[in-house]
Amino acid sequence: MSAVAGHALSLQRVSKRYGDFVAVQDASLEVASGQFLTLLGPSGSGKTTILMMIAGFVEPTEGRVLLDGRDITALPPERRDFGMVFQGYALFPHMTVAENVAFPLRVRKLGRAERDAKVRAALDLVQLDRFAERKPSQLSGGQQQRVALARALVFDPALLLLDEPLSALDKKLRAELQEELKALHRRVGRTFINVTHDQEEALSLSDEIAILNHGHLIQVGAPETLYERPATRFVADFLGKSNFIEGEAEADAGGFVLRRGAARVVASGAPRAGRTLLSLRPEKIALLPEGATEDNVVEGRIASWSYVGTGYALTVMTPDLGNIRVHLPAWRIPVSPAEGLPVRLGWARDAAVAVAEDPGSPVPGGVA
Amino acid sequence: MGGHRPGWLNGTLAWATVIYLILPITIILPVSLTDQRFLSLPYERLSAQHYVTLLTTPAWTNAILQSAWIATASTLLAVVLGTLCAIGCWRLSRRSTDLVRALMLLPIIIPTITYAVGLYRYFARLGLLDSFTGVVIAHGVTGIPYVVITVSTALAAFDPRLESAARGMGASLGQTLRWVILPRIMPGIVSGAIFAFIHSWDELVVVLFIASRRVFTLPRKIWDGINENLDPAMAAVAVLLVGMTVLLLLMDLALRRRRTG
Repeated sequence: MSAVAGHALSLQRVSKRYGDFVAVQDASLEVASGQFLTLLGPSGSGKTTILMMIAGFVEPTEGRVLLDGRDITALPPERRDFGMVFQGYALFPHMTVAENVAFPLRVRKLGRAERDAKVRAALDLVQLDRFAERKPSQLSGGQQQRVALARALVFDPALLLLDEPLSALDKKLRAELQEELKALHRRVGRTFINVTHDQEEALSLSDEIAILNHGHLIQVGAPETLYERPATRFVADFLGKSNFIEGEAEADAGGFVLRRGAARVVASGAPRAGRTLLSLRPEKIALLPEGATEDNVVEGRIASWSYVGTGYALTVMTPDLGNIRVHLPAWRIPVSPAEGLPVRLGWARDAAVAVAEDPGSPVPGGVA
Repeated sequence: MGGHRPGWLNGTLAWATVIYLILPITIILPVSLTDQRFLSLPYERLSAQHYVTLLTTPAWTNAILQSAWIATASTLLAVVLGTLCAIGCWRLSRRSTDLVRALMLLPIIIPTITYAVGLYRYFARLGLLDSFTGVVIAHGVTGIPYVVITVSTALAAFDPRLESAARGMGASLGQTLRWVILPRIMPGIVSGAIFAFIHSWDELVVVLFIASRRVFTLPRKIWDGINENLDPAMAAVAVLLVGMTVLLLLMDLALRRRRTG
């Protein structure tokens, strides 16, 4: 291994087909050295297939996998030198924790002293040094997950691959281990590639997120970019919640105006014309007090509301734009919500972003 | 504990069946301890004389040793081939491998006598008749089904992700087999070995066909003994055979219990 801790991985136009079924279609991806990348998508989106192609367990039908510029597409998994945490951890039940962690070193025929030292260091790293002589069945789910991490990191792998590493844990433990995983990534400075269907996990852990749907890689970017500037309807909908407003756009001074029936919605951004779909996050909409105004103002009535602790979730029925979901911090709400209550909604022109329809879904006439 | 208590009829029937099953086996124990010089129940006292004869007559001790050697060697053969076959079928796991697995069970499905006639013709050509090697091969091959069955069952419970995990960590096929797969399916292999051993230990029909003067296994010696004279030493041998089998079965039971416990 070189002195550089992380390695860069790149997928070039990778596809995987099983007969007629397309699991992954033409995916290209760059993972920079030391990065934490998450493949995010619903089940069946092809995220695990991509991970398995990176690991070498699945051979791409087309395309290439490169590690630091070297083509490894044909290399079997045992010669790739990647650490992997499997779904359900796949710890060896007949070995102790220490033997599990020592396994990759035993395979590499390391001397006993060096092996013991590395196993101890890896168990220290995940705070499991006291459990070295236990069997995996004697550990809790969170501890097993940490053993799997130690085992995957002990041989200084070029990459660490994680297949839904937190999905088997309950919510509270998951949040705890997310923190640990993030800290671990910072400490070891390696390239991590994670697979999950949990958008919160993806947002909080990753440097970069790659969003997949139906085998297509839809958008890759930093969590903030993906959340604030989703490229398609699917991304806007899968990462957080979103309202969608569809209409005819025409350019204006600050960006463009979207017309839908009698309503006009102004938005900033590149001027555009023709049929356009806008995504508007519920938390970027305000309930305007008497006399206040905004770039966009829409009137309506509260159709339903619920209190969710951090705030109120309202659905407002507007004659012009249909149902609009609004999320307001509880301590900032100017009225007490009640069904049928007339309200005015307002949002700034830079609150909404134009998004495309997704590949595979019907495209309404000429969305750019 | 829920459920019905069995009625007296059920209970009686069940016990009658058990007695019916084990009586022929238990009768040989007193017969083997007879104080007479012919096959009978003890008249006046119990005597161990026939066990002494058994262990001091070279013809008997030779047969015991031969049987033990043949059973050991053929078990080894059956375990290696049966395990490899089961693992191969499991790894490839196609429709054709189901067929292979079914084929491997043939020796216990088709009548032994058919198998023995076939072996006789075939071994004559290969010069394996009446040889130690020939019997080991015959018993080894007919012992394979037991190993294939028990190992396949163990593999069905094996988590394939463990194999992926081992390979992902750089283990070669050989290392994965030695350190991950074999330890996980060892109870199945041991079970198969026990059955293969028992199979060879009391197999008679095949031996009758392919052995003549040189190879005398214990069951064959008993067979000859019954045809020639009614020496009570035969009852002692039978006790030995049954004892060995029961011992092995108890071992298998203990192993299974440890696995599930």
